[in-house]
Amino acid sequence: MTPILEVQGVTKDFGGLRANNNISFSVQKGELLGLIGPNGAGKSTLFNCIAGVYNVTAGRIFFDGQEITNFKPYEVSRLGLARTFQIFVASGDLSVIENIMVGSFLRTRSRSVARRRAEEIIDLMGLGEHRDHWVSELPVAAQKRVAMATALATQPKMLLLDEVAAGLNPTEIDEMMSLIRKIHYDMGITVMLIEHVMELVMNISHRVIVLDSGNMIAEGKPEEIKQNPEVIKAYLGERYVAQQQKGA
Amino acid sequence: METIRNIFDFSDFPRKDLVIFGLFCLFLFIFPLIPHSSFSMATMIQFLMFSLYGMGWNTIGGYGGQVDLGKAQYAGIGAYTTAVMLIRWNIPFWVSAPIGMAFAIIWSFAIGYPLFRMRGHYFAIATIATSLVLLDVFQVWDFVGGAKGLEIPLKKMPSLMYLQFRNDAYYYYILLGLFFIGFFYINWFRKSRLGFQLRAIKDNEEVARSLGINAHWCKIKAYAIATSFVAVVGSFHACYNFNIEPEDIMSLDLSILIAMMAMVGGAGSLWGPIIGAAVLVPLKSYLGSWLGGKAGLAGLDLVIYALIIMAIAAFEPRGIWGIVEKARRRKRT
Amino acid sequence: MSAFIGQLLQSVVSALLMGMVFALVALGLTIIFGVMNIVNFAHGEFLMVGMYAGLLFANLSGLDTLASLPVAGIVGFVLGIICYYGLVKYLLRGPMIAQLFGTFGLMLLLRNLALLIFGSEPRIAHHGILVGRSFVVGPGIVFEATKLTAAFFSVVFFVAVSWLLANTKVGKALTATALNPEAARYMGIPTERMNALAWGIGGASVTICGALLVNFWPVDPNIGLLFTMIAFATVALGGFGNIKGAFYAGIIIGFIIYIPPMWDALTQLIGNESLKAIQLHSFKYTFVYLAYFLIMIFRPNGLFGIKE
Repeated sequence: MTPILEVQGVTKDFGGLRANNNISFSVQKGELLGLIGPNGAGKSTLFNCIAGVYNVTAGRIFFDGQEITNFKPYEVSRLGLARTFQIFVASGDLSVIENIMVGSFLRTRSRSVARRRAEEIIDLMGLGEHRDHWVSELPVAAQKRVAMATALATQPKMLLLDEVAAGLNPTEIDEMMSLIRKIHYDMGITVMLIEHVMELVMNISHRVIVLDSGNMIAEGKPEEIKQNPEVIKAYLGERYVAQQQKGA
Repeated sequence: METIRNIFDFSDFPRKDLVIFGLFCLFLFIFPLIPHSSFSMATMIQFLMFSLYGMGWNTIGGYGGQVDLGKAQYAGIGAYTTAVMLIRWNIPFWVSAPIGMAFAIIWSFAIGYPLFRMRGHYFAIATIATSLVLLDVFQVWDFVGGAKGLEIPLKKMPSLMYLQFRNDAYYYYILLGLFFIGFFYINWFRKSRLGFQLRAIKDNEEVARSLGINAHWCKIKAYAIATSFVAVVGSFHACYNFNIEPEDIMSLDLSILIAMMAMVGGAGSLWGPIIGAAVLVPLKSYLGSWLGGKAGLAGLDLVIYALIIMAIAAFEPRGIWGIVEKARRRKRT
Repeated sequence: MSAFIGQLLQSVVSALLMGMVFALVALGLTIIFGVMNIVNFAHGEFLMVGMYAGLLFANLSGLDTLASLPVAGIVGFVLGIICYYGLVKYLLRGPMIAQLFGTFGLMLLLRNLALLIFGSEPRIAHHGILVGRSFVVGPGIVFEATKLTAAFFSVVFFVAVSWLLANTKVGKALTATALNPEAARYMGIPTERMNALAWGIGGASVTICGALLVNFWPVDPNIGLLFTMIAFATVALGGFGNIKGAFYAGIIIGFIIYIPPMWDALTQLIGNESLKAIQLHSFKYTFVYLAYFLIMIFRPNGLFGIKE
């Protein structure tokens, strides 16, 4: 089966700094893939290369069989690959439903159809009480749900989630987990997420990829990754690993 | 049809607003019938013209968030097209105005494409630059009369074809018709797909792009819409004034005034340009006439305008309507 | 034939001299931009204020216009500081659109205040040791003393300000604020005062320029716009925030202004009648506006790159 997303040898340089080095992996339709790694590993850069925000220095990217290397963000989105942002809103001009409608308008010209679809998503995401509020006035957890809802309104085949659990308390993290599961199972959308919050990503991912300093250092099921010495070294440092071994 | 419903859909405004606007419209309709001076009639015509100018500007400057300080060049294109076509080939207003609009739109696409690669201040300066270039060209181009401009020859009045009337009331009602067409168009526009996309772009352009919006192209479209409004008013201006010259119809001063209407009234809102024009036009008109006789006070009206802009920029960038909205929001929470 | 070569050389010389003056005009704008990322639409109006200040002082005191330079400088410095604390401080809090409109309103204010106070008639300095003097070099190249002095002092001030920025404690603090306002604040540098200082220095450098210009360039309330556009084109060409770039860019813009006479001389030299008939004089400044537009499309970071 053709993977829905294929990343082949992607390298991204910023001047002298190599943020992504020869990264290759693929994502099957219906998977839930986690992307982890210490700060500065190049996760966001990789996302941005896939989503078309950056042009790659080398390598190729394929979505649903079509090459999308260096496509512009709006082209990538139109093909069915959506993404969320960490910093979502600048001014407070649009209400929640209006925001989501912007997403719906990708697939329809009609205002009433866009509105109807936005209402459906609002119900799905539990944003009913905030429907007419300005996004900038919402608490962080709700804002993240609006960001996800807006991306979902574009009817994507695959969704890239960028640190959606950052800044959430444990209850909110649980809610986020069910939400992601709902999107994944109920709506049949392939999901790839960048996360720092381990409980979330390790609990829901089918497979996890680990980046460190621009390189892909591990790939596998969450249980395997947790035990992988390279991964532990990347997060906790060589000295810790050596100490552990000495102590053991 | 859905579009027709959307044109007349004001459901997102409280009843109070619509009643006030309704009363205002009533006033606009009956104004020429109540006793008035020719000076107040001239002021009302100016008000309608600048409301339309402002509504046009508001599409790209308000909803689009791209401050355009070079709109006057399109007023010039509209005005000159109408004037030249009338003088040389006797073409009536109703034919030359759409043609003027077409020329203006073509020109707006030509410079819009490179123009929107820029943002913010750089964009604003570039709009001034293009307007000045066109102004310079028109000042030396003999075909359009150069710096002296053009005089529109008088036809047998009243003439609906050439828009020439002795009685200002005719001009007023035609302009009022245009005003309402423009107004309902903007009401449709702000809830249309393009309207939503523009507002998303203004909110956060990067996010908007990730939602499948081709920001560059959306801005160009909005710019063309703004241009059409301005060009039509320009054509009207030529017929109303009977003469046009570059310094007057294509100057930076006019571009500034056009931008101010929405900025002061509330950029990005439906009522903004109308409120702005309602405040600024009578202010300039009556201040100008009061000071008019007094030599040495030329420029005082603009000093006051300048202070208003600075105050709004510093304290309430969303303009008068922004103040109203803020007060309402506070009452809600 | 040699007359036309003379004319060409004359244009080149004038272009160089004017270019140095334009460099100073642009310096203030680029400093303000470098320190706080705000663009001063009223920049040309500051120049106009400097021109009127220089003229007034010279006329009232009977001294030479050169003596008015320090006065113009002080006026510009004070005006810049007032503008900062009175307006710009508040603008910085708001969205970019507000900043744009705020300095724009300032431009309108200054322009129309000048109209109210001075009337619309153009004025120029009529007396002074340099006015009307010139000396001739080589095949008829005229060096007007006023332009020469203006260029000379422009270079002097340009170098002085650059030196101050690089070598004094205050200057380095200013540069630090420009590069990284957050870090500068942590190091104890008072950002508010740095911003005000930037406006003060920016204002002073352009008003001094005005006092130099009024010896040979007539001033009227509307002259600000032209110089704002020239300053913008220069800063865009040199790279926003790039001081050295502003200098070279100024020279280039100087040459752009002299395209019409150079074109005339060239077409005379070539002798082609149809080319000779193309008169470019009315487009003297149009080329500057075009230059701005083209630079921003093709090289938005300027020829020399942004903010060092």
